[in-house]
Amino acid sequence: MSGAVLIVDDSLTVRMSLLELLNAAGLQSEACSTIAEARQALATSNYALVVLDVLLPDGDGVELLQEIRAMPAAEGTAVMMLSTETEVRDRVRGLTTGADEYVGKPYDPTYLVGRARELVRRSNDNAAQGEDTILLIDDSVTFREELKQTLQQAGYRVVIAVSGEEGLRLAANSRPSGVVVDGVLPGMDGATFIRRIRLDAALRGLPCFLLTGSEDRSAQLVALDAGADAFATKEENAGVILARISAMLRSAGEQSAVRATTSLLGPKKVLAVDDSETYLQQLAEALRAEGYDLILARSGEEALELLSVQQVDCVLLDLLMPGIGGRETCRRVKAVPAMRDIPVIMLTAVEDRDAMIQGLGAGADDYIAKSSDFDLVRARVLAQIRRKQFEDEHRTVREQLLRAEYEANKARTALETAEARATLAEELKLKNEELESFSYSVAHDLRAPLRAIDGFSLALLEDCEDKLSEDEKQNLHYVREAAQHMARLIDDLLALSRVTRGEFDRTETNITALAKDVIRRLKLSAPEREVAFVVANGLVASCDDRLLTIVFENLLGNAWKFTGKQEAACIEVGVTGDDPEVFFVRDNGVGFDMAYASKLFGMFQRLHSKIEFDGTGIGLVTVQRIIRRHGGRIWAEAAVGAGATFFFTLEGSRSRDVTLAADAPVVGQTRKDAAA
Amino acid sequence: MMHEKTILLVEDNRADEVLTLRALKKANVANQVIVARDGVEALERLFSPADGRIAERLPELILLDLKLPKIDGHEVLRRIRADERTRLLPVVILTTSVEEQDRFDGYRLGANSYVRKPVDFAEFAEAVTQLGLYWLVLNEQPPAGGKG
Repeated sequence: MSGAVLIVDDSLTVRMSLLELLNAAGLQSEACSTIAEARQALATSNYALVVLDVLLPDGDGVELLQEIRAMPAAEGTAVMMLSTETEVRDRVRGLTTGADEYVGKPYDPTYLVGRARELVRRSNDNAAQGEDTILLIDDSVTFREELKQTLQQAGYRVVIAVSGEEGLRLAANSRPSGVVVDGVLPGMDGATFIRRIRLDAALRGLPCFLLTGSEDRSAQLVALDAGADAFATKEENAGVILARISAMLRSAGEQSAVRATTSLLGPKKVLAVDDSETYLQQLAEALRAEGYDLILARSGEEALELLSVQQVDCVLLDLLMPGIGGRETCRRVKAVPAMRDIPVIMLTAVEDRDAMIQGLGAGADDYIAKSSDFDLVRARVLAQIRRKQFEDEHRTVREQLLRAEYEANKARTALETAEARATLAEELKLKNEELESFSYSVAHDLRAPLRAIDGFSLALLEDCEDKLSEDEKQNLHYVREAAQHMARLIDDLLALSRVTRGEFDRTETNITALAKDVIRRLKLSAPEREVAFVVANGLVASCDDRLLTIVFENLLGNAWKFTGKQEAACIEVGVTGDDPEVFFVRDNGVGFDMAYASKLFGMFQRLHSKIEFDGTGIGLVTVQRIIRRHGGRIWAEAAVGAGATFFFTLEGSRSRDVTLAADAPVVGQTRKDAAA
Repeated sequence: MMHEKTILLVEDNRADEVLTLRALKKANVANQVIVARDGVEALERLFSPADGRIAERLPELILLDLKLPKIDGHEVLRRIRADERTRLLPVVILTTSVEEQDRFDGYRLGANSYVRKPVDFAEFAEAVTQLGLYWLVLNEQPPAGGKG
């Protein structure tokens, strides 16, 4: 989008005058006199602004406006309607059709040029929107590329310079939305760069972000002194830097928007409402001469209709009018949040104390007698506009302060959260390490004394065989049995803890083959036993095969153990055909009383005496932990003397697996520390 | 001839030392057993602490515990394998630990065998018997001059 303006007006005088005014103001303009010519021009070129007369020889300007609004190519084009029609109705029609501005003829040249300039700037800004370009100046390749990537991922276009001098050239040429500059550069440093930008009339508004090398307070002072809008140390992570840059650009964008619309020196619109045409014309003439654009309305109703589509800077309101009248109009204006800040000056024919009180009571900001000369009206209008201006500015400043505070709070909270998480993660790591070295000590240190107890008991049995009675020998055997049982308990507890903290790796596993392998090893342990095994073919599951091996070792081991006294022992592995898949291990052994089923998976819980069947009471706890790690569940059905069946599923959420697996890398490291 | 061959037993636990010696005796291993009670002592048996010169008589077999005071078993093994003169000495790790990482590190550092000490002394004695038989009788030592 260029700065070009198209003027469409059938009056040669208006065309010539506008061309001269706009070209003199640096807005490259061309003109035509009919809708047909305008259509042709619009089809071939892009305009930032169209100044459009309403009454044209070959049609209605508002209809052309409608066409423009429907053209995709003219999306960013602003339209200023220019009309001799002073009826509020026409104004409302133009503005609701999509005109950005509606100026009455005769127009004030200063006002018109001022507005045209604003509209052109706005459409150019619109055109540039969505592709914020950031100029990044840094001589360190690593840091530069990392930040560049972060910025690009956030949707910014990034232009790179490696020195302050190159940066200045690029800033002037590519007009970026913001600059990020390293404080330390060969030649011109970052602070000097920003100072140079601030000295350049065209670039001084450019938001600048300075990267400092350290937390050094003096570096930050230098940055602020040079005029940086924001800064961060390079040690900060890229995400934090990105957030600060975005905040800087956001607030810069808002500031310039405020400047563009509410400059105290910019053109102002005044709405005058009076049922007396004569007074309106006089007022209009007096105020136009001051550079105000006057909108005239003949009733309170008209005024309200217009205010719903047109922002104005001040309302002059006659108190006594037919229809809803001045007081009610004022009350309604002040009742709408979007309008209540517009200053309303009440006008009345006489110096009437009661009327004045009534008017002010309805919310008017000031009160003028119509008898007053126009100088006084002008001064009052200006005073009100200025007051509103100050209020707006204060509000803007307040909002900016609040926003800055909000951003700071947000950043602080994010930082605190991150710190808290890091602390927790660190604590968890330490806890894991502690647990790890504890387990290692248990494995190593508890076994050594047991070996001594067993070894020396046996030494006594061997060396003093002649001196010991049978009872004494039996007692020594009990000592050895106890030591060996405790060794098994330690081994099983270690296996259990490994199941919970070890790695977790789900893969597609052939369960049939896995179960058969466990069975093969069971058979090797007692080749004399006759047990019939039935394993269903084609069993598969997504699981950790190492852990599932432990499951089958325990379940099949139990089945093997509890069928030990069975004549025709039979052990079966299969699935029930339910969804999710339910696996089972069934035996025809001694079984158990279902009344005790709740105790099955309790630590050290045993349902059979040690003399009948040996065991530690840890096996099923281990199995249950493994099943839970898979997100599945396990349960059993049994009857005394009629065997037992254990069912389990392996379905479940995978997120749990991920968290548990994440603990794994800690393992290897600590074991070495514990050994040292 | 067998009497010239010595065994270096690196073990800090007196009970384990006595039990190991008992097991060796029961297995009729008549070789001299030198005991070192920590990693430093073990290394001093191999290298002179003053000038790092190698001991006059190197053991035929080293039985090495892992968890040792001062310098641990893994480090002792690493230093044995790092020195050209002791690089080929048979080292059997004899330990309580069966943690995967310990086994992995043991073999990675060049252990010839890794044996877990069982709690049951009968099993322990059997393990020591087999070790003695294998390393001192069956196994042929690398040639003395072989510098690889």
